[in-house]
Amino acid sequence: MAAYEALREAADAAWAPFEKPSRTLIRVNLGTCSLVVGAQETLDALRASVQAGELEADVMATGCSGLCHAEPLVEVTQPGGPSVLYGQLTADRVPALVERIASRVLAHEMALAVAADEPMGDVPPLGSLPFMRGQVRRLMANCGVTDPLEIDHYLARGGYEGLNKALRMEPEQVVAEMLESGLWGRGGAGFPTGRKWEFLRTSERHPKYIICNADEGDPGAFVNRNIMESDPHLLLEGVIIGGFASDADRAFIYIRDEYPVPVVRMEKAIEDAYAKGLAGKDILGSGFDFEVEVVRGAGSYVCGDETGLLSSLEDRRGMPKLKPPFPAESGALGQPSNINNVESYANASLILRHGSAWWASAGTEENRGTKMFSLSGKVERVGVLEVPLGTLTRQVVVEMGGGVPEGRTLKAVQSGGPLSGVLPGSDVDIPLEPGPYRERGTLLGAGGLVLLDDSDCIVDLCIYFQWFAEDESCGRCTTCFAGTRRALEILKRIASGRGREADLELLKLLGRIAANANCFHGQGAPTVIASTFRYFEDELMEHVRHKRCPAKRCAGLVRYEVLHQSERLAEAAAICPVGAVVEEGGAYRIDQESCVKCDACREQAPYAIGLVDEFGV
Amino acid sequence: MAGSAEVLARVSELIGDLKPDDVALLKGLHRLQHEFGYIPKDAIPLLAAQFNTTPAIIFGTIDFYSELRQKPPAENVVSWCSGPACLLKGSGGIRRALEATLGCAMGEASADGKYELQLVQCDGTCQLAPLIRSEGRYIGPLSSSEAIKFARRLKGETEVPVPPAEEGDAAAAEASE
Ligand SMILES: Cc1cc2nc3c(=O)[nH]c(=O)nc-3n(C[C@H](O)[C@H](O)[C@H](O)COP(=O)(O)O)c2cc1C
Ligand code: FES
Repeated sequence: MAAYEALREAADAAWAPFEKPSRTLIRVNLGTCSLVVGAQETLDALRASVQAGELEADVMATGCSGLCHAEPLVEVTQPGGPSVLYGQLTADRVPALVERIASRVLAHEMALAVAADEPMGDVPPLGSLPFMRGQVRRLMANCGVTDPLEIDHYLARGGYEGLNKALRMEPEQVVAEMLESGLWGRGGAGFPTGRKWEFLRTSERHPKYIICNADEGDPGAFVNRNIMESDPHLLLEGVIIGGFASDADRAFIYIRDEYPVPVVRMEKAIEDAYAKGLAGKDILGSGFDFEVEVVRGAGSYVCGDETGLLSSLEDRRGMPKLKPPFPAESGALGQPSNINNVESYANASLILRHGSAWWASAGTEENRGTKMFSLSGKVERVGVLEVPLGTLTRQVVVEMGGGVPEGRTLKAVQSGGPLSGVLPGSDVDIPLEPGPYRERGTLLGAGGLVLLDDSDCIVDLCIYFQWFAEDESCGRCTTCFAGTRRALEILKRIASGRGREADLELLKLLGRIAANANCFHGQGAPTVIASTFRYFEDELMEHVRHKRCPAKRCAGLVRYEVLHQSERLAEAAAICPVGAVVEEGGAYRIDQESCVKCDACREQAPYAIGLVDEFGV
Repeated sequence: MAGSAEVLARVSELIGDLKPDDVALLKGLHRLQHEFGYIPKDAIPLLAAQFNTTPAIIFGTIDFYSELRQKPPAENVVSWCSGPACLLKGSGGIRRALEATLGCAMGEASADGKYELQLVQCDGTCQLAPLIRSEGRYIGPLSSSEAIKFARRLKGETEVPVPPAEEGDAAAAEASE
């Protein structure tokens, strides 16, 4: 449509100086993960240098390129030259960088990588960094490249081309393209996205709603956050395409309250899309009207469940509902609705832009496309990455992520959040696909991968997840709220040294009962316990039979003791918040009654104070 | 001050444009929390009237969501991340250290109402794990000792002078690490 061509032309002009800069261009990654380590201060310092005339450059903010471990990340592009990336570039290091840029010397000792195929001196190409090798960045193509607050940047790099194409097709053709791609939902359940859209399309009752599930409640998952704060229009375009394909009237993008940066950026994206005629009335002159708004959640995990989300939109407690009716029949406010995850809609933008054949060229026959994952826990390189589905788990967690810290062994990979289980570290040669994970009694999930090493305790992890499940239970069904509570009590008992053999049967029984919970929150809660029985039974048995925590993590099974007298014990006594490191006649001891087992004394005097259980040091 | 005529007038002003059955209650609650730092109890009847529902439904909604506060925040709120990366890296010790130093349990305020420990969910800043947040700042990776020092500074306590450790002992300590 002519409307799109005109937008694109203006956008190309606006983007040109960034595509081919005529003077030094400096990009600063500005996302949640970099803001917390001072990226705003870095940006301000760079701008101040330009203002002060120390540097002739353009300075721009971008989203996050996923290298959270290297934030604040700064990229410097010289006219005609490749870009050089600098990691951990906090404001205090800005003067040194500015000096080097001004004197046009490559600051190679500070550089992380060069965005080129060949190394530049001793600076390696970006693609050769272990974290980047094997990534296929499609969803993340704009992350760290464009300014997420500039709709023109998105447009100039092919943005809204998919929507423009869709608007020239019949809605059923758009659905057919989605079906052809083979995309299944990225939120966890894995249902084909095109089929969901078809359900809503064939529903006659207006108004019809498109809902984007941006609740991303799994602790340790932050891939949706990365899309929303780094390339918000990629999501928005997909939402609007979904609206057109299913003949819907209005969209709600439901973002968790814990994500303030994505809220602001999505709202700005929507505002700009309205201003350009890409949302609202008569989109791109096609006659299609579609309203979009952001809804901020308020802190509830079960509102990430699609029916919990629906309740939340209905101005009451966000309690999940029984299905059927399915959302396509009776969704938000009782109207036909479709709910998809952020990454599902983002993929729709690419499918319509490039065609389903191109999109399906990544991944495996059964599981097409790419998938974003976030790495955290005991991993060398925390961050967000994108790989073709079917990539080996080992490649992502060990090679790209760098595995567990030096000297430790990988104990387990926890994927898919609190309702999922764990994959033992000895079994990570399986592809990142739902099938192999399901076969092993766990779930691939929505993208969170948390690594555990051999110093971690599996009972401790079970307690955390049962606490989470119990705390977040909506309270409607006894199976869930009382079941998770009972499981938590039993696990805590085991961790405190009062475990009984019968507890093991009780845990298994609770696991079976949970299948009757109303929603997947209660049903999934015991998965981590089942994983423990399957892969770490010995460790669990040690806790129960011998009252011993092999990792010495269960506070109830260990105590702190002074093993050697030492000068450092004075520091230990000074740091102790409860005065439990007491001195008597020149010798220190730990008062077991008052000790809260916070570990601070041992941090001060690691040689003198030891973690002891009934079996010794 | 909640309950005063001005507060009620302000509440009405803030929610006056919101309609029932229009996905607007959360918006209204966020506006109130933004304005007052919590949702004043006396706002509940007004919200019920505005949204054409009962005070019980409104209260139930407020009570359901963990980010909505029913009490004003303490002067100093320290947020402790409950997430998995922080857990694996020692947040349990930090929690116990903060509770002991600030004199309040998680989710509660100290007796003098000055300090409050708040449990928060992981927001994907796990490269800083284990972390706490205070006044919008993220502090991590944090040891239990650092958490105690942070809490003592917050309370304005001067740091207890510590005799310097002897060289040999420090070296032995390092060797054993
Ligand atoms: C307790 C619970 C929490 C969930 N949290 C999320 C979430 O945060 N984000 C999400 O996309 N899906 C979540 N889901 C899955 C949704 O119910 C739903 O399957 C998904 O949003 C559908 O989108 P998709 O087809 O694009 O995957 C959750 C499910 C349950 C049971
Ligand atoms: S677990 Fe604490 S920030 Fe992720």
